Amino acid sequence: MKLTSEEVNEIALESRLLLNEQELAGAVRYINTFLDKLDCFRELDLKDVEPFSFAEALECPLREDKVIPFPDNEAILHESEHVDGSYFKVPRIMEE
Amino acid sequence: MELYELNLHILIEGLKAKKFSPAEIFQSCKKRIDQCEENIHAFITRTDDKPQSIENPNGLLAGIPTVLKDNLCTKGIRTTAASKILGNWKPPYNATAWEKLRSAGAVLMGKVNMDEFAMGNTCGNSAFGPTHNPNDISRVPGGSSGGSAAAVSAGYVPFSLGSDTGGSIRQPASFCGVYGFKPTYGMVSRYGLISYGSSLDQIGPFARTVQDLQLIMSIISGHDPMDSSSFRNKDHDFTHSEDVSIKGKRIAVVKEFRDFTLDAPISDAIKRTIKILEDEGAIITEVSLPVVAKYAVACYYALAMSEAHTNLERYDGVRLGYTVKDAAGIKEMFERVRSYGFGAEVKARIIAGTCLTEPSRCEEYYVAATKVRTLIAQEFSRAFGETDFILQPVTPSLPGKIGENDEDALKGYEADLYTLPVNLAGLPGLSFFTGYSGNLPVGLQLIGPRWSDVSMLDTGVILERHLGSPKIANGGVK
Repeated sequence: MKLTSEEVNEIALESRLLLNEQELAGAVRYINTFLDKLDCFRELDLKDVEPFSFAEALECPLREDKVIPFPDNEAILHESEHVDGSYFKVPRIMEE
Repeated sequence: MELYELNLHILIEGLKAKKFSPAEIFQSCKKRIDQCEENIHAFITRTDDKPQSIENPNGLLAGIPTVLKDNLCTKGIRTTAASKILGNWKPPYNATAWEKLRSAGAVLMGKVNMDEFAMGNTCGNSAFGPTHNPNDISRVPGGSSGGSAAAVSAGYVPFSLGSDTGGSIRQPASFCGVYGFKPTYGMVSRYGLISYGSSLDQIGPFARTVQDLQLIMSIISGHDPMDSSSFRNKDHDFTHSEDVSIKGKRIAVVKEFRDFTLDAPISDAIKRTIKILEDEGAIITEVSLPVVAKYAVACYYALAMSEAHTNLERYDGVRLGYTVKDAAGIKEMFERVRSYGFGAEVKARIIAGTCLTEPSRCEEYYVAATKVRTLIAQEFSRAFGETDFILQPVTPSLPGKIGENDEDALKGYEADLYTLPVNLAGLPGLSFFTGYSGNLPVGLQLIGPRWSDVSMLDTGVILERHLGSPKIANGGVK
């Protein structure tokens, strides 16, 4: 087994996920089985292989750096329950 | 014959000739939905309570009903990605693909079911419950775009849109007995598609004829300044009128797949299709894809999970969707929102993606997978030097019973071997109907090099001419 339940729980917390005992047991089984499947990459010589990119994407995809205001900010703010005026308001970030 | 039974081209011709009106088509499709929906459960949100206004009464699709997979943003209409975490979110903008259809006059009947955030291949992994296969309601429709495939198969609408990250258009098309097309990556704008694996996701159509797929592709394809991965200078004539022949075209089967077990109706369909292709003058050949056959599944899931974990970081309860209002701090709020809002499969993939991309493991897993992807793309590139298209199964088996494989998600991943390599290399893939085995449809797949979309669909038209078109499924109605 590559990862213990403590390690998997730590990773879940990094992802801001709280797992109950049953979910954690399932996640440990899932991740360890999955990591075992990825061991097959070791059979390949990848030393001189470049990470993948689409061959045609040689031109710069950036467009002109021009501000285009979104036409309906109200509609965006309407979808949040954490709005103060024209801003999103979030709970405190600094711990006590 | 009822209007809902007519295919897209026939509806368009009938409207032009004033044989019937958009209102009559709407009523016929709505009646069909009312008749079957209790059995199929394709919808998450229906918008057919009253006839929708037609954006462009002179457009090519004026008055033609459609449905969209619920990961395509629709302005002012709830969009959920089949997840609790999006709550009742109503996007403030339309996905470009939908905007193009709407501008051509299409009418939205609703948003349809899918696996949560497109993660799954049964359409059973949805916060809104499973969709049923209209050909046999005890069976899965496939996924993740199961609602889009089921809606076309049952005659709710003549065409629909879905998205395909590792087979999510082609597999449900095959299971439901319709045609489904995954375009070359970059052919259709992804703007307004809720992201799962951004380097793999692509929007595409479902329909009951290949000609109807061509028509929809002619509308939704093309560059979009809102999606930097949509390619410029790639104009494709999907609806050209010249006669097409496959005489002299090379069509290959994959050597390494020959030893893999297939359900008998699928291997029979391959033999039958090869005979048709030979009779039409195609040259049947063989290509070797050893890296694809052995490493594609592991490579795909490593990358899809890594991309998913970053894409899904944005769901925190602040700007949209499900939230809590009494959290003591931001960390507690994020944890409570995400732990309640995401389903089990999505959580598992987020955790796996976080694990694979952590600095201590990134080189061993994520970076290695991006390199394996290069080898896979190179292998396809070599193969397409030797052949024009590859013919292969969509899945090794016909659709299973609902709930059959729910306990072992990883086993389900192996069944995606025939579809996900196409996304890794950014290729187009056509899932086409070949006939029925009992009441279940049997589909196969053509894949080709990047930007071969037009000639692939042309080949699909020839295959359809010989294999026949699918009929409307009974939708569980006796």
